[in-house]
Formats: sequence, C-alpha cells, structure tokens
Amino acid sequence: MSKLFEIALGIVTGIGGFLETGSLATAAQAGAAFGYRLAWAILLGTVCIAFLIEMAGRLAAVSHHTLPDAMRERFGITFFVVVFAVVSLVSFLVLASEIGGVCLALQFASGVSFRWWALPVAGLAWLLLWKGNFGLIEKGTSLLGLVTLAFVVGALRLHPAAGALASSLLPSLPTHEPAKYWFTAVSIIGASVSPYLFYFYSAGAVEDEWDVSYLGINRLVSGLGMGFGGFVAVAVLVCAALVLHPLGIQVDRYEQIPLILATPLGRAGFVLFVASLAIACFGAALEIGLQLAYLAAQGFGWRWGENLRPREAARFALVYTVALPLAALVILAGVDPLKLTVFSMALTALSLPITVVPLLVLMNDRMYLGDQGNGWVSNAAVLGISFIACVVALVAIPLQLFGGG
Amino acid sequence: MELARTVLDQQVIDVHDHAMGKVDGVVLELRPGRPARVSAIVVGGTTALWRVHRGLARWAERKLGGEGHPARIPWSRVLRVGVDVKVDTESERSPALRWERWVRDRIIGRIPGA
Repeated sequence: MSKLFEIALGIVTGIGGFLETGSLATAAQAGAAFGYRLAWAILLGTVCIAFLIEMAGRLAAVSHHTLPDAMRERFGITFFVVVFAVVSLVSFLVLASEIGGVCLALQFASGVSFRWWALPVAGLAWLLLWKGNFGLIEKGTSLLGLVTLAFVVGALRLHPAAGALASSLLPSLPTHEPAKYWFTAVSIIGASVSPYLFYFYSAGAVEDEWDVSYLGINRLVSGLGMGFGGFVAVAVLVCAALVLHPLGIQVDRYEQIPLILATPLGRAGFVLFVASLAIACFGAALEIGLQLAYLAAQGFGWRWGENLRPREAARFALVYTVALPLAALVILAGVDPLKLTVFSMALTALSLPITVVPLLVLMNDRMYLGDQGNGWVSNAAVLGISFIACVVALVAIPLQLFGGG
Repeated sequence: MELARTVLDQQVIDVHDHAMGKVDGVVLELRPGRPARVSAIVVGGTTALWRVHRGLARWAERKLGGEGHPARIPWSRVLRVGVDVKVDTESERSPALRWERWVRDRIIGRIPGA
C-alpha cells in the first residue's frame, strides 16, 4: 500500500514539478509563433528527461551514490570541476529565471513592476529552505503545482484539432522564420532537460534511502510523471497556438500571455494563470536553490541534507543562502525575465553533452550498476537527443542573438 | 597501487558516519624491492587543488600558509572501503572540517534559527 502511495506521489511530483518558467515560456512562445508545429520538440525533450530521471534514480538505488558523488569518484576532481562549473552556471541562470517568473506573476496580480518583487521572493524561498525539510519542499510544491492542470482544461475548452496536433508530434521543417523556429525548438528541449531536474532527483532518492526494491517505482514514476508533465506543456502550447497565434501576438509582450488561459476560462482563467506561473516557478526556485547546494556538497564531500539543521551542514546551507539573493539581484537589475528564461534554456541545450554524457558513462559502468546498467535504447535516445540539441543550439543561438531570422 | 586509484576521490565518513570530505590525495610509501604501499589518505587543504591547477594551488598555499592544513589519516585508521571510505576519526576535531567550522561559526551560526 505504501509503495502504491509512493508511486502516486511520485507521479504527482512529476506533473506538478514539470512545468516551470522555462517550459511555460518556451511552449507559449512556440505556440504563439508557430501554432502546433513545434509540439515535436516537447515530445523529444520529455522522452529525454524521462530517461535521464530514470537513470539518476537507478544510479542512486543501485549504487547508493548521488550523481555528483559518483562523478567525482569516477572521473576525478579535474573533470568534476568542469562539470560543476557548467551545471552551476546553467542552474544559476535558470534560478534567476524562475525568480523572474514568480515576479512576473506578482506583477500581473498587483500591477507593481516585477523588479521590486525579486528580493522578497528570494527571501521567502530562502526562509523555506532554512526552516523546511525535504518532504515539505518536494511534496508541498508539487501538490500545489497541480494547479498547472488548468492549462489542460483551457486547451480542451478551445477544442484543438486532434489530427493536426498529432501530426505535429513528428518533426517538420519551418515554413517561415527558420532561425527563430530552431532557436525556439532547442529552447523547448533545454527547458525540459534542465540538469537541475535529474541532479535534484538523484539527491532526493539518496535522501529517501532508496534501494533496489525501488527500481520498479522509479521506472513508473519517471515515465508517467514526466509523460503527464510533458502533456501539460503541450496543453500550454495548444492554448497559445489557439489564442495568440491567430491574433498574431508574439509572446515577447508579456502583458498578453495571461490571455492564453483568460480567453478559454474567463476571469478565473486569469487568476489560474497567475497562480500557475507563481507556484510552478516558486517550486522550481526552491528545487534549484537546493540542487546548487547538493551539487557542491556532494562533489566536495561536505555534510549535506535538507533534513539537517543549517548549522549541522553549514557549507551546504551557505550555498543556497548566497545563490538565492544573487539570483534575485539579476532580476532586480532589470533583466527581462522572459528573455533571460529563453536564453537560459537555449544555453541548457548547448551544454547538454557536458551534463548528460558523464551520467551515461556511469550508467554503463558495471562497477556502479552491476547488471542494472543501461540498455541500448536509453543510451541511444539520450545521446542522440542531446547531441542534436547541442548542434542545433550552436547554430541557432548566434543567429538569434545577432539578428538572423 | 590499485587501491590508491580506487580510493582517490571517494567520500570519507568519520566514526559517526558524518561526511568529512573526499580522499583528495593518497600518501604512498615506497619500499625497496617491494610494491609501494598506501600509508595514508589526505583530506582537505590544498591537496585536491594541486590536481586541478598547480598555479592556483601555489597561490592558495601562499595565502593560507603550509598546505592549507589537510588531515592526514594513516591507513591503519581506515575501517572499511565501500560506497564510502570509513575512518576511525572524530571529524569534529579534524582539520578536514576547518572550513566547515569556520562557515558555521562565522556565518551560518549567526543567522537566527540555524
């Protein structure tokens, strides 16, 4: 019974935790600019993250190592420092984006500019990490995150054409604005495959003391949780495709974004949009703050654990205590949250080989996995998607930044 | 030698299973006519930095003095090598946790609710 409960809870965590500023912004942008056409990118990203999450959980359950711990041990300090720097940088930018997302939601609700919300939001997040425990943070934010299911209701109300949507799950070439099309595609993949997700998951699995009896749960939770999560992201794309695309509204004018729920659901839709944005981004900010601390502590051998008091794991607590206000400063300085988000997601896609390949090497190492190593399907899928996303990002980012499409 | 390669960069835990750092270095004892033997593991200080960047390590040693005070744990005190390297040491008094104590006493411990 308790296993069944854990499966349910895990799936809820996946659904509630999947949508954050990155997937919301990129899916909305894709829908507004290209209709259904980029749905395939969400599918690819979701498949990739489901495999990665499953791997991180399996590594923890079989070898009792968290990901940074195993990487340091397997590849040595020099290589670990490189991965540490890249993952920290990307996660920090995503953290700033999430704080920006909460601030935008508060701006929609109050009319007060997003900049002034940055420090209070970071302060509240810090307080929860300082006082809370792991269960509260992981389960609480993902249960509240279920509010994002409002996008599914909204999408259904708009009566999407099932045939057209299904056919756009297959990759297609752009009909117009090719640079923007590919840039948005890699941003979507980057948003789904944010490294904080699987690093956080691996720390959680060790924190919850998983063993091999959890392998079945792990497989179900990662597959179904991420699957349903991706489904919500597709719903966002559908809402944007049916509300904004016909009107020719681009998402860069973010006053218009709440329309994607306000059109199908009226006044309640506006409230649900603001709540979804605020909760999803705030939950992600908590997870990223923790993940930065996990990464450093597990890689350098410090005491760690969100269930310890701050003074029992001082350096661990120091990381999030510094990271949260620093990320808030980026927003306070007036950086456009939406531009920052999309840029961070593209950068995530670019860095995928560095964040993903070490995990793949570990997953094929019998020293760590014994006979629970990867099969060729998961190896090929993750390697293929990561490299394609990286190459496309390499071409699309400069084109986007220096005015191509 | 094989042992040195295995334990390097592994997690070190003390008698109470508290994390106290990584195996940042290994001290080898060279014995004439016989294979070298691991005589101690080194935790903390500038040990790991030497393996990342020599110039940086030299600079850090000038700033911190000595080798940045690493803990040298004789191999006889290593209790077991598994997922972690468990050693017969109290980490609370070990120089390996010098920075942990500094951060706790100077920064984190001063914030209410720590």
